[in-house]
Amino acid sequence: MVAPAIARARGPGPWALWAAVVLGLGTLLASIALAMAGDELVRPGLQALLFNWITIPYLISGTLAWWRRPESRLGPLMIAAAFVMALTALQWSSLPALHSLGNLLDMVPSAMFLHVFLAYPTGQLATRPRQVVVIAGYVNVAVLQLAKILLGSNPDSLLAITAQPAVASRIEQFQLIAMSALLLIGTALLLVRRPSPSRAQRRPVTLLVDTFGLALVMLALLYVAGLRGWPQIETVRHITFAALGLAPAAFLLGLLDARLARTDVGTLLMELRAHPTSDLREPLARALHDPSLTLAYWLPQYGTWADPDGRAVTLRGADAGRATRVIHRDHEPIIALEFDRSLEDERELLDAVAAAAGIALENNRLQVELRARLQELQGSRARVVDAEQKERQRLERNLHDGAQQRLVALALELGLLANSSTDSSETAARLLQAKREVAVSLDELRDVARGIHPAVLTGHGLAVALESLAVQAGVPVELDVAIDGRLPERVEVAAYYVVSESLTNIGKHAEATTASVRVTRSADAIVVAVVDNGIGGADTERGTGLRGLADRVEAVGGQLRIWSPAGHGTRLEAEFPCE
Amino acid sequence: MRVAIAEDSVLLREGLTRILASAGLEVAAAYDNADDLLRYVRSFPPQVAILDIRLPPTHNDEGMRAALRIREQHPDVGVLVLSQYLELGLAMQLLSESAEGVGYLLKDRISDVDDFVGAVRRVAGGGSAVDPKIVSTLLKRRRGDDPLAVLTPREREALELMATGASNQGIADALTITLRAAEKYVSGIFTKLGIPSTRSESRRVLAVLLYLRA
Repeated sequence: MVAPAIARARGPGPWALWAAVVLGLGTLLASIALAMAGDELVRPGLQALLFNWITIPYLISGTLAWWRRPESRLGPLMIAAAFVMALTALQWSSLPALHSLGNLLDMVPSAMFLHVFLAYPTGQLATRPRQVVVIAGYVNVAVLQLAKILLGSNPDSLLAITAQPAVASRIEQFQLIAMSALLLIGTALLLVRRPSPSRAQRRPVTLLVDTFGLALVMLALLYVAGLRGWPQIETVRHITFAALGLAPAAFLLGLLDARLARTDVGTLLMELRAHPTSDLREPLARALHDPSLTLAYWLPQYGTWADPDGRAVTLRGADAGRATRVIHRDHEPIIALEFDRSLEDERELLDAVAAAAGIALENNRLQVELRARLQELQGSRARVVDAEQKERQRLERNLHDGAQQRLVALALELGLLANSSTDSSETAARLLQAKREVAVSLDELRDVARGIHPAVLTGHGLAVALESLAVQAGVPVELDVAIDGRLPERVEVAAYYVVSESLTNIGKHAEATTASVRVTRSADAIVVAVVDNGIGGADTERGTGLRGLADRVEAVGGQLRIWSPAGHGTRLEAEFPCE
Repeated sequence: MRVAIAEDSVLLREGLTRILASAGLEVAAAYDNADDLLRYVRSFPPQVAILDIRLPPTHNDEGMRAALRIREQHPDVGVLVLSQYLELGLAMQLLSESAEGVGYLLKDRISDVDDFVGAVRRVAGGGSAVDPKIVSTLLKRRRGDDPLAVLTPREREALELMATGASNQGIADALTITLRAAEKYVSGIFTKLGIPSTRSESRRVLAVLLYLRA
């Protein structure tokens, strides 16, 4: 077995998953306890609920993503976001150290959410603008946050080393404006990537992007509301939290859709098996839920990729929202699937569809190879038959021009001698005897030579050659050769042997009283039909005669059919392709 | 009587020349190919042309084509075709128009010098010579209800001789009977088989052959 081309990243151990779950439950309980115990919050119950509405789904989604897609950094990133979010609950604590820590981390989740949304689905920030936005976000929530706290924006913080509220307030204003801007830029970047409605309508993905965008906009709105001191800030906060919590739900929906889609792979395989040569793209596109799928075939002889129409194409990399997957066989690329980039997220589906495509292609390739081999075999069989035919003709020619002529000349000489030797009747008698012996030899030689190759066929064609066969048959034969002119020699020879063998068989086995031989020509075939009124029951499988005949016919691309019901005669039909 | 020959085997060409010459026939030309013979026949039509059925360059059907051409263009020239093999189809092709002045014999027949020379003379004189083997093959042919069953054994022999192109005299000689008896046999056969009788000896050859082949 060949090792898989892409080594799969090792997934988290069970301990990691369980730790995430336990810690998640811990933060749930701790945050509720903190919210209820503290006196900072307006409606502690609702706050705690909303808080966990965000942390718990991120934790669950992150854990699942980490488990299902260990190669993606998205899972750990989501888990980290959940825990940092959980840590901000420490602000509600009355213990100064914990409160200070929570307060320091207050803004970090927004940067992490930005990070998560922009890193979806691979966990990596694919483009430079995204990287800049996310780094700027982290700088904002870390540096500006620390600066404003150090300057005493929060008097309860242990980190407040000086009290410069005016400066701290300026910093906070700037921080919130900058963060809002970054969030809105992030939204814009997300929407740019959103699949256009005209193309692949990958529903879960569109939903996800919409949810991410809504969450980021709401977060930006929340900061603006805080900055401007809007009275509806609590409502905005609730909506923001609700939107933030929706994102992992949509993410889960996407995961579920991918799992559902994988069941389509079974259908795909069956479809490919039922129609092995039909267009591969349609079923693959259906299975991938991506109508925008395109295929490119690798042409090793040209060293290039080509679309199904044979036009050379270049594989686009991971740009323009597209991604490619190359299927290899024996370390040689055979086909590339180019699909909507969002599919990268559905790795199992891709793997399964790619495997199915690989099997289908392999199947196609094997069939093509089989056909090629068959053609080659037929070609070599025809060549063997032709070569044998040539050799037979050569042998017959040699006998005709050599031994037969010499024997005739010898017989002639003996005849002349017998005629002239009037002196001794005994000598004359012996000469005549010798001449008769030569005549017998000539007869035998003639039969041998004729068996090797009926020269009349080469010289005068099928119609003339069949006359002798018909008249010499063991039963009365009605002969009807309805063809004008000559046929390809190999067809003439094969047809001749069909008639010859059939008439011999009829004479030996059929117990027929009459037979007919008909040679007819259709648009593209010559049909030789030999029919008798004998006992029937002839069988191609029994005995080698008919099988050998079938081989001979098939070797020149023809087909031999036999109807031989017991008691109802035999009809043998050889059809030869012939333009 | 002038004879022209086309036979590519030197042995046979010389043998033929010898036996014909010794029988008093003039071998005016002997070639190893059909084209030269055709050219000669065009310029100096002989009484009879003897051709091997397989002649250069391809040894396929050159001899046969030349024979048919002479039959068509020079009806007065007798054509005698020699072959190593006998093909009923070819015999019928040669005789298709008429059996006058045409012969188709196995090469072996050359060695029966007298019979052969007789056949050459017959063909040259407008008669016919069909190889006995062809006739015997036709006679041996199986049929549902054999129409030849009505013939007596002697009549059968006479029929066989008639089919090879033998004249009434020839039949009489072969069967060692009188000419009158032979004539009686012949007319008896025609009546029994229902073949329209014909006075011409060569025309009746075709009639009999067609009857036997049908």
